[in-house]
Amino acid sequence: MATTPRSGGAGSGTAQRPNGTSQNKSCQFKLVLLGESAVGKSSLVLRFVKGQFHEYQESTIGAAFLTQTICIEDTVVKFEIWDTAGQERYHSLAPMYYRGAQAAIVVYDIQNQDSFQRAKTWVKELHKQASPNIVIALAGNKADLSNIRVVEFDEAKQYAEENALLFMETSAKTGMNVNDIFLAIAKKLPKNDGANNQGSSIRPNGNETNRPTNNCCK
Amino acid sequence: MDATASSKFSDVDEYGFKRGQNFDYRNYSKFMDGYLKTLTRRRMKWEAILQQNPDLSQVDAKLKRYIRKGIPGPYRPDVWMKISGAAAEQRRAPNLYRSLLNSETFDKEISDSISIDLPRTFPDNIHFDTKKQRLYNILIAYAHHNRDVGYCQGLNYIAGLLLIVTEDEEKSFWLLKHIVENIVPQYHSHNMSNLLRDLAVFRELVIRRVPAVNRHVDNLGLPYPVIASKWFICIFAEVLPVETVLRIWDCVFAEGYKIVFRAALAMFVTHKTSILACDDIAALANHFRDIMIQDSIVTDCHGFIESMFALRLKRSELESLRKVAVLNPA
Repeated sequence: MATTPRSGGAGSGTAQRPNGTSQNKSCQFKLVLLGESAVGKSSLVLRFVKGQFHEYQESTIGAAFLTQTICIEDTVVKFEIWDTAGQERYHSLAPMYYRGAQAAIVVYDIQNQDSFQRAKTWVKELHKQASPNIVIALAGNKADLSNIRVVEFDEAKQYAEENALLFMETSAKTGMNVNDIFLAIAKKLPKNDGANNQGSSIRPNGNETNRPTNNCCK
Repeated sequence: MDATASSKFSDVDEYGFKRGQNFDYRNYSKFMDGYLKTLTRRRMKWEAILQQNPDLSQVDAKLKRYIRKGIPGPYRPDVWMKISGAAAEQRRAPNLYRSLLNSETFDKEISDSISIDLPRTFPDNIHFDTKKQRLYNILIAYAHHNRDVGYCQGLNYIAGLLLIVTEDEEKSFWLLKHIVENIVPQYHSHNMSNLLRDLAVFRELVIRRVPAVNRHVDNLGLPYPVIASKWFICIFAEVLPVETVLRIWDCVFAEGYKIVFRAALAMFVTHKTSILACDDIAALANHFRDIMIQDSIVTDCHGFIESMFALRLKRSELESLRKVAVLNPA
């Protein structure tokens, strides 16, 4: 399995930036993070993008936007990451962020049963409202606290399988599976020139639903 | 000596916030040399104003002018209470705050969501550790006073900053109530209806005043709610450097919601060139998140406030845009 070369090592470094060689293909994907308040959405992004962790990450008001680029084999994958606010009342803003998204990470906290139920609600909403080809990953975050978990790994895994979701338990604190979940998503996304166009993913009638399949990105 | 001066060479500002790594101490020191004299002069003027008109019952043109130049720190709590009308409200219901706190039980869901946010409110402020219980009190009392709002994330930053400035739970409660109910009503309620409306109004203002900037932002594809939701929900708390926020709040308490639009529009107008220089969505998002709020704006908060008031903006224009925006929210 060819994976991203990591900077820093020990699995905690940020994903490697492309070295700019011209034979790399490049793709760009819009990814949205959803989930209940304080499950660690912003922390996962901060770990993935900057390799950092703040014990008391400030709550996201509205939404935040970041990017990170990873390499898979000979393809440069650039994620446009839309990190959303978790509190229920910010829900009315959410469709703006998942509209046209090619990928979503739905996050829950393994210590919090309610947050798992909320994650399921998000998955349902995405299946109903988001692009039909959206790749959804379920992240059981705060896995470093697995001794006080209330959501069992097997339960979440089974739910993920039934709903065709990628699934990993992650820890933004230790870095466990953080790069890996983004990498797994990147691998599952179709890498052809439909997503290659800068900004294509955010146009209202973006081509994420009917990409040509015969044309790999250059 | 004013508190502003004592922190001149500290890595923590007078409100307990750690200064950024790239804080320009030399420039700041140079700025403070001149600014201290201004502060002293301003305090003497404010002493005179408060002697003549201790209730500040009417914000006339002269008082408004002084407020726009910045209320001296030590006077802020009382001046805010008076010019906003919060002090009069408090006199009408002097036991309200205590009676809310003396309630037998609190809604568990609300209490839990406030508690989760306490440690992540101003984690970099060195004084805030000791203020958490008081912040909890303000937020839980308000959430039960106004069940339509309850607890909205973002109120923690407003109430937290009010508490830092006033050092007084009850005043913070009344000022918070004034902001949420009178300045920006229905921003924080469950459907956030007026927030969406005003974000649409704001976009329309950008189209009218700096159309090239709007076209650029639209072309790069960064939605206005990503840029500006936090500006409006927190009235710039935790968005701009604290001194700038307090200068904005001085005017908000005196003049109302129009100031929020002035500040938001000034962000676009004063940074027009640098916004247009962002050549992709990531650079633009980064620009709004980091570049605009760097510490230099602390020494330049005068410049920012001046640019706010250099803008043409009438209440009537905002009101007519609001009527249209209700039909087509952001």
